[in-house]
Amino acid sequence: MTTSRLSRFLDPKVLASLAALEIKARNVVEGFVEGLHKSPFKGFNVEFSEYRQYVPGDPLKDIDWKVYARTDKYYIKEHEEETNLSGYLIMDTSGSMGYRGGNAPMSKLEYAATLAASLAYLMLRQQDSVGLVTFADGVRRVIRPRTGMAQLKSICTELEQTAPQDRTDIGDALDRVAGTMRKRGLLIIFSDLMDNAETIINKVRQLRTRRHEVLLFHILDHHELTFPFEDTTLFRDLEDRSELITDAFSLRREYLRRLQQYVGAFQSALRKSGIDYLLADTSRPVEASLKSFFTRRQSVGARLA
Amino acid sequence: MPLSFGNPWLLTGALAVGVPLWLHLYYRRTPVPRDFPSLRLIRLSVEAMTRRMKLRHLLLLALRILAVLLLTLAFARPFIGGGALSAGTGAPAAFVVILDNSLSMGTTHQGISLFNTARARAIEIVDQMGPYDKASVILCNDPGTVLFPQLTWDKNELKEAVRNAPLSAAGTNLAGALQPALKLLAPVRAFRRTVYLVTDLTKSSWEPLLATYDLKRIDPSIDLVLVQVGDAAPPNLAVTELAIDDPMVMKGRPATLRATVVNHSAQPHTTRLSILVGDDKKSEQTIELGPNGSKRLEIPLTFGDTGFQHVRAVLPADALPQDDVRHLAVQVRAPPRVLILRPPPDRDGKPNREDLFLRFALNPLNRTEGALFLVDSRSPEETGEVNPSEYATVFLVNQRSLPDALVKSLSKYLLGGGSLVTFCGPRVDPAWYNATLIDGLGGGYLLPARLFKRVGNAVSKAVAYQLTDLDTGHPAFKPFGTDGSGDPGRAPVYEFYQVQPNPSALVLARMSHGLPGIVEERRGQGRTLLVTFTADTGWTTWPLKPTFLPFVHASVMGMLSRQGINAGAIQPGTPVSLTVSEEGLKRVSLTLPTGQSQEIPLRRDNGEGLLHLTVAQTDQAGFYRLRFEGATEREEAFAVNPPPAESDLERLPQSRIVRFIRLEHQAGSKQSLGQKVVAVREGRDVSFPLLWALLLTVLAESILANRPLRLGGRASS
Repeated sequence: MTTSRLSRFLDPKVLASLAALEIKARNVVEGFVEGLHKSPFKGFNVEFSEYRQYVPGDPLKDIDWKVYARTDKYYIKEHEEETNLSGYLIMDTSGSMGYRGGNAPMSKLEYAATLAASLAYLMLRQQDSVGLVTFADGVRRVIRPRTGMAQLKSICTELEQTAPQDRTDIGDALDRVAGTMRKRGLLIIFSDLMDNAETIINKVRQLRTRRHEVLLFHILDHHELTFPFEDTTLFRDLEDRSELITDAFSLRREYLRRLQQYVGAFQSALRKSGIDYLLADTSRPVEASLKSFFTRRQSVGARLA
Repeated sequence: MPLSFGNPWLLTGALAVGVPLWLHLYYRRTPVPRDFPSLRLIRLSVEAMTRRMKLRHLLLLALRILAVLLLTLAFARPFIGGGALSAGTGAPAAFVVILDNSLSMGTTHQGISLFNTARARAIEIVDQMGPYDKASVILCNDPGTVLFPQLTWDKNELKEAVRNAPLSAAGTNLAGALQPALKLLAPVRAFRRTVYLVTDLTKSSWEPLLATYDLKRIDPSIDLVLVQVGDAAPPNLAVTELAIDDPMVMKGRPATLRATVVNHSAQPHTTRLSILVGDDKKSEQTIELGPNGSKRLEIPLTFGDTGFQHVRAVLPADALPQDDVRHLAVQVRAPPRVLILRPPPDRDGKPNREDLFLRFALNPLNRTEGALFLVDSRSPEETGEVNPSEYATVFLVNQRSLPDALVKSLSKYLLGGGSLVTFCGPRVDPAWYNATLIDGLGGGYLLPARLFKRVGNAVSKAVAYQLTDLDTGHPAFKPFGTDGSGDPGRAPVYEFYQVQPNPSALVLARMSHGLPGIVEERRGQGRTLLVTFTADTGWTTWPLKPTFLPFVHASVMGMLSRQGINAGAIQPGTPVSLTVSEEGLKRVSLTLPTGQSQEIPLRRDNGEGLLHLTVAQTDQAGFYRLRFEGATEREEAFAVNPPPAESDLERLPQSRIVRFIRLEHQAGSKQSLGQKVVAVREGRDVSFPLLWALLLTVLAESILANRPLRLGGRASS
């Protein structure tokens, strides 16, 4: 794999570690080009799907005359079509994503952008089309899915130019994406999910109901996960700039308990709906997060196959 | 428990409590600013944690302040139990030992007297006296005895006084002992001041103190130490009352003795009560008493001799033998002689009927043997050689005037203890009565009221008045105090004298429109009674009614029975006063219950020819006899009995004792009473326990402050 460095988010080390991997949607998605991905549309290709009775309006050329000769009834022979993948990278760019803990190598947004760029690279490389949606309290920018490495540049440029700001409103962004995607596809969400958990879960489930493949990267900083503060602290909210003075030392236990509860709620609710959920700690190397993601994807795919 | 300090100036270090306070406030106001992605979870956590955090903060603050205080206190060397200002300073001690020598301290248990134990304890306390200490001893029997009016350094003298302190038959007067003790200690502020009260802690003696005395207001720098002797109340039976209801006891006539026996224990008891007159046992009866019960007995008794008799009610001796005997002095009389100063006969020579009615009332059967009263009726002119003092009562009936000599002798008779009953009538000249019997004697008046005018008309009988507002508490009207015993008010009175009672006179009955009807006044040792109408049927029909006779009898008996000393309620230690006529009196001697005799000093009065006597030595319970020697010889007697409350040996619950430091001491204790006394006086250095408390506080603070550090963990997928 050789590539010039398009963006700071495309780390050659990361890409090298992912060279052997490919994205496979676990379920069938709609596609334009025959490829590795199965299409839900019944066509006339290699792989037989099923017989169905002829209904007026069906082209006569599709009737299987051999079956007619045996049963004296008109049957249409249908085939599954392999297609390529169309996906959206949905990036939360709210103010909270700009957080970078004391020893973290990058902010949450940078971490998410690195993940997104890496995944875009992989998808484009295997002829899938990929787009980008950035949102905060509303959708900020939409890049429609396309194939080809030029799309990678567009995505990376957009990611680099996006600065974290405003509150998080995931629901609105997902509604917009669902409206944009006419065909079933892959949606990869990168967010710290600093919004109402119930709303997020409902929206993601709706996407799943429309038979989109949904992947959710829950991006959290190491400080968010461990809350290592000890002093009486004036906490400033990066989204709404509100402030709160509290004794972090004594709050730690309760905070961690609630965070565990919050994360657990996402894990159980999303997995029940067949949605992949991955908690990404920004202190971990990006490639480690991606590896664990793909490992799990592969194991799930193998189980279903 | 009083608290004092060896290094009080180090207490200024307590100001250091401001340091944790300042730190607390400082860190609250300078938080470290920090950006955070979202405060959603923090807010939710804070809401849940706020209460716990506040509590924890306050607890931490309290622990830190406590640590500073404990450190300061420990360095200041606090003493507990010593004199509040001078413990640990080596100042000399000034103390007062109040020794309870009341009757209840006479309780014996297994042959050991509580009072002996109390004396031993008091001596142990005095023994701890240092060379520069000074002390006093007060006995707290009622009314209390200060054995040393000034604090003394002489330990031996104090111990000797305690050793010789007598057990009293009187009650307890804790307030009367505590007050002089505090007064003695008030001026010696440089000393460690202590009052030691050695007592049996009976409820009956403490309750009056707690009810009337606010112990918490006593100077807090004076320690009050309670040394209790006797921890349990033994069962005790007592004779708490011995009296005779009859107003006058006569030789050969039955009288009714009333005795009350009380059981002060939770167990029923059967006992025997013996009645003795002198040394003769007159009766004995078995009594069954319920738990904490009492029984009142009425015992018929007939006396064979006249004069003062010593009556005793005796129970078998128990834990407190002093209250198993009760004494009564009974004056047994021969039938008293009564003199009627009758009015002269009517113009037609008929004898006056007032004399007739009175003689009939006083001696209905006109007997000389067995009569209640022996009546002698004379006209004033016939009294030249008669001495009124030979008569118990003189009736002055409807007289116009009296010879001067008789007036003077009647005045002397009245002041010396005689009884005068005056009936008004048509012959009475109010001007002469007022001028001679009230104003003319220079203060030695004979009448209890001044006469004015006659009210009503006994001839026309147009208006009938009645006696109302009878004073049934007075002996004269006591027979009519119950329903069905007759009503003197049913007899009409058609005419009477309007009178104005003297300031100290009592109106025993009023006429139906409110004017006084019968008036009585005490004069010297005697009594004078005025009836504002006649003793015959001239102005009223009362002499014909059945209520007249009991009135006359009760009036005379009442006046006689109230002569001399009121022997009913004399308690040990109470001085007994008596006023007697000084005529021919040379010597008065007193015979004590022990049989010892002593002469009573005489004190002259204000010219009325009276002498005042005071018997102060009434400490012992028993029968006291006074002998008056002079031209004639006569006797008085009285009985002294312990207060019934002292027989109740129930102890006061410890919870009710305030202000006193209790010094528990049992025989055979590892630590002697003296050592305990020293510990209380010097106080106990508590700096070492405080240092331990400080260590524990610091440990608790560390644990609390670092508790969340042990609760690690992180959220993970």
